Amino acid sequence: MSRFTGTGEALRFALKRDRLLLPLCVVGLIGWVGLYVASYSGLYGTQADLNSLYKSVAGNPALVAMVGPTDGLRTLGGATAWETLPVVSVISAIFAMFVVIRHTRAEEEDGRSELLLAAGSGRLATLTAAMIVTAGSLTLAAIGWLVVFLATGYEAGSSVLLVLSILGFGYVFVGTTAICCQVTAKARTARGLVGIVIGIAWFLRALGDTGPEALTWLSPLGWAQSTKAYWDDTWWPLILPVAATATTVGFALWLLSRRDIGSGLIQPRPGPDRAHPSLLHPLGFSLRVQRGSIIGWTYLLFVYGFAIGAVGDNITGILESSDALTAAFAGTSSNIVDSYFATIFTVLALMATGFTIGGVLRPHSEETHDRAALLLAGPLGKVRWAWGHVLIAYAASALMMALLGLGLALGLGVVTGDFGETGRLVASGFAQAPAMWLTASLAVLLFGISSRASVAAWGLLVAFVVIWSVASFGDLPSWIVDLSPYSHVPAVPAVPLEAGPLVTMTAIAAAVTTIGLALWRRRDLL
Amino acid sequence: MEAVIEVRGLVKDFGSTRALDGLDLSVEPGQVHGFLGPNGSGKSTTIRVLLGLIKASGGEARLFGEDPWRRAVELHRRLAYVPGDVNLWPNLTGGETIDMLGSLRGGLDPKRREELVERFELDLTKKASTYSKGNRQKVALVAALATDAELFIFDEPTSGLDPLKEAVFQECVKEITGEGHTILLSSHILGQVEHLADTLTIIRSGKTVESGSIEELRKMTHESADPDRPASLEELFLSVYEPK
Ligand SMILES: Nc1ncnc2c1ncn2[C@@H]1O[C@H](COP(=O)(O)OP(=O)(O)O)[C@@H](O)[C@H]1O
Ligand SMILES: [Mg+2]
Repeated sequence: MSRFTGTGEALRFALKRDRLLLPLCVVGLIGWVGLYVASYSGLYGTQADLNSLYKSVAGNPALVAMVGPTDGLRTLGGATAWETLPVVSVISAIFAMFVVIRHTRAEEEDGRSELLLAAGSGRLATLTAAMIVTAGSLTLAAIGWLVVFLATGYEAGSSVLLVLSILGFGYVFVGTTAICCQVTAKARTARGLVGIVIGIAWFLRALGDTGPEALTWLSPLGWAQSTKAYWDDTWWPLILPVAATATTVGFALWLLSRRDIGSGLIQPRPGPDRAHPSLLHPLGFSLRVQRGSIIGWTYLLFVYGFAIGAVGDNITGILESSDALTAAFAGTSSNIVDSYFATIFTVLALMATGFTIGGVLRPHSEETHDRAALLLAGPLGKVRWAWGHVLIAYAASALMMALLGLGLALGLGVVTGDFGETGRLVASGFAQAPAMWLTASLAVLLFGISSRASVAAWGLLVAFVVIWSVASFGDLPSWIVDLSPYSHVPAVPAVPLEAGPLVTMTAIAAAVTTIGLALWRRRDLL
Repeated sequence: MEAVIEVRGLVKDFGSTRALDGLDLSVEPGQVHGFLGPNGSGKSTTIRVLLGLIKASGGEARLFGEDPWRRAVELHRRLAYVPGDVNLWPNLTGGETIDMLGSLRGGLDPKRREELVERFELDLTKKASTYSKGNRQKVALVAALATDAELFIFDEPTSGLDPLKEAVFQECVKEITGEGHTILLSSHILGQVEHLADTLTIIRSGKTVESGSIEELRKMTHESADPDRPASLEELFLSVYEPK
């Protein structure tokens, strides 16, 4: 029997299981790019528009760090590639991460893989099928993007190059995710690992593009951007993702063929034979359940903030040497670094809402993993228990955003020797929390409605990310922009902190959470 | 005396599937009550209604004379529950899990805990993610048996245990019955229930087929003159497995 026996069945099974989810995601990915393209061709219809975009943006190190090199902005294609490539690539990688883990590590963690293996399926079948399904979906999305570009009248060759560059990045993360699935026995940890790798890829590119160029070449995102689609088409860097995909996929299969089913390469160590007193209180226990992701996210945001803060000063230096740039930003803020930080806060608040939603949906994951009944059959009220998880998630979200601000301030301070910004930056981080609470409260509402509805919360977050990303570069009707809570957070620290919208959002979040948990009280446990 | 469990005409629909279709179940204090039925007949669903985890669609369910859906927290102080398929928190050790579950009911007797762990041969220092199904079940069993609950609800509690540990479980149940606890033991194996239970309810497709003391049911089946009636408890039990 070959180790690949049963790949066909596994493939059919995966496709059947996700027959709704995958088409929805692929159509979403295509539609999103379509939205971008539509908004650009309206916005930058003439060469004059493009020239003015180029003049206001080119060489701005803050934008170079955030998005990528600005050299190609003189053409519509170049501008489109500049803005779409990083964000679409990252979303494709996140998509790859979710799908691969969903069909491999998550299945194994829930003990379903053993059934398949016992039924004569080969050891590598499930992983192979999951990778094929994921890569196939990405490829379909890529074909859709290509159609969008061609239909809008973009140049054909360059469009193919752009689409392949993004696809290559997605492929690399199919393989990377497959490796992470072998390293740890837990789906949640595997997702965390992939998230870190995506973050590193982004950060290496940001550093490389604003400093030592060699770092760019260490990042798959750097590879994708080095094809310079639409302004200096360069095909050879496509070799890099192809090689990396082959290597990571091969390595993952090799690891899988050597490890035990149900376990990861990192084996859990034995622990204490009795509980620490902190576990003996329901809230202490809930905190313990969330502890890993709280520590992980907080650490990541703090370190990230520190790194960005340290680069921040560098940006001021470059900016002050350019009159044009200083003038371009003079209208929006007295301090260009502050507007850079404001953008960073928004982006990271959107990302960290991933934690908040995951945290408030812990009761949902306890429910679907069939652990909730064990607790709720004890004298523990279901509403009180859920409130515990929700409050922990809300408090931790505020804390980690404040620590992001602290990281920024310390990074900035270490370089400049001036720590006077600390209070303002911590407050700016904290100010992001109400929007995160509001989004997460909608997740609680969905959870209260039904267990199955809960996952729609992730769709909501994606929608807010899309609204932010399209609105910040393109053109969206203001009523759509206003739908996102993140649009109502003052752009601190670039503008004065205004409490009004924050108080309103907090009040709405509290009300929605209360309603959600009242509904949860009234519904069946799964 | 007031019945510990009183279920009458219980109905539960999941969307268009009817899981319980007018089920009756009555358990008196101090009884070990066997709850028998084939897979999918509605044992777990009945228990989840009794635990107030799901809401009945019709009929009546009473635990200690009260409504389990409305008074879940108060009622849960008086009972301990072991599900058939135990899922635990992968990062916690068995020992941590037992203490945490016990703390919900105000803590465990440490000596009893130690004794049970020894009898079930459970390694408490292992993370739950590395436990087999049987070991996860032992964790839930120890956490339940080390409490001093009035009512124990076991839902196919030994489906993952080896025969030796199953015997340990049966001993433990015998010990606590001597102390006046009430036990509801759901199972799809007649032998286990026959060995432990005083009274029995047999269900099929969400309906009660027979109910009574084991002696009564034996006598009734043997003495039945009706050629269509089963002639023994075994036959009665087997008859519920046959398609209608
Ligand atoms: N949450 C649920 N949703 C839909 N159907 C369910 C659900 N829970 C149980 N059922 C159905 O109800 C019936 C009874 O199930 P269950 O009570 O688990 O049986 P038993 O425990 O006797 O094996 C089965 O047909 C099962 O498929
Ligand atoms: Mg059952």
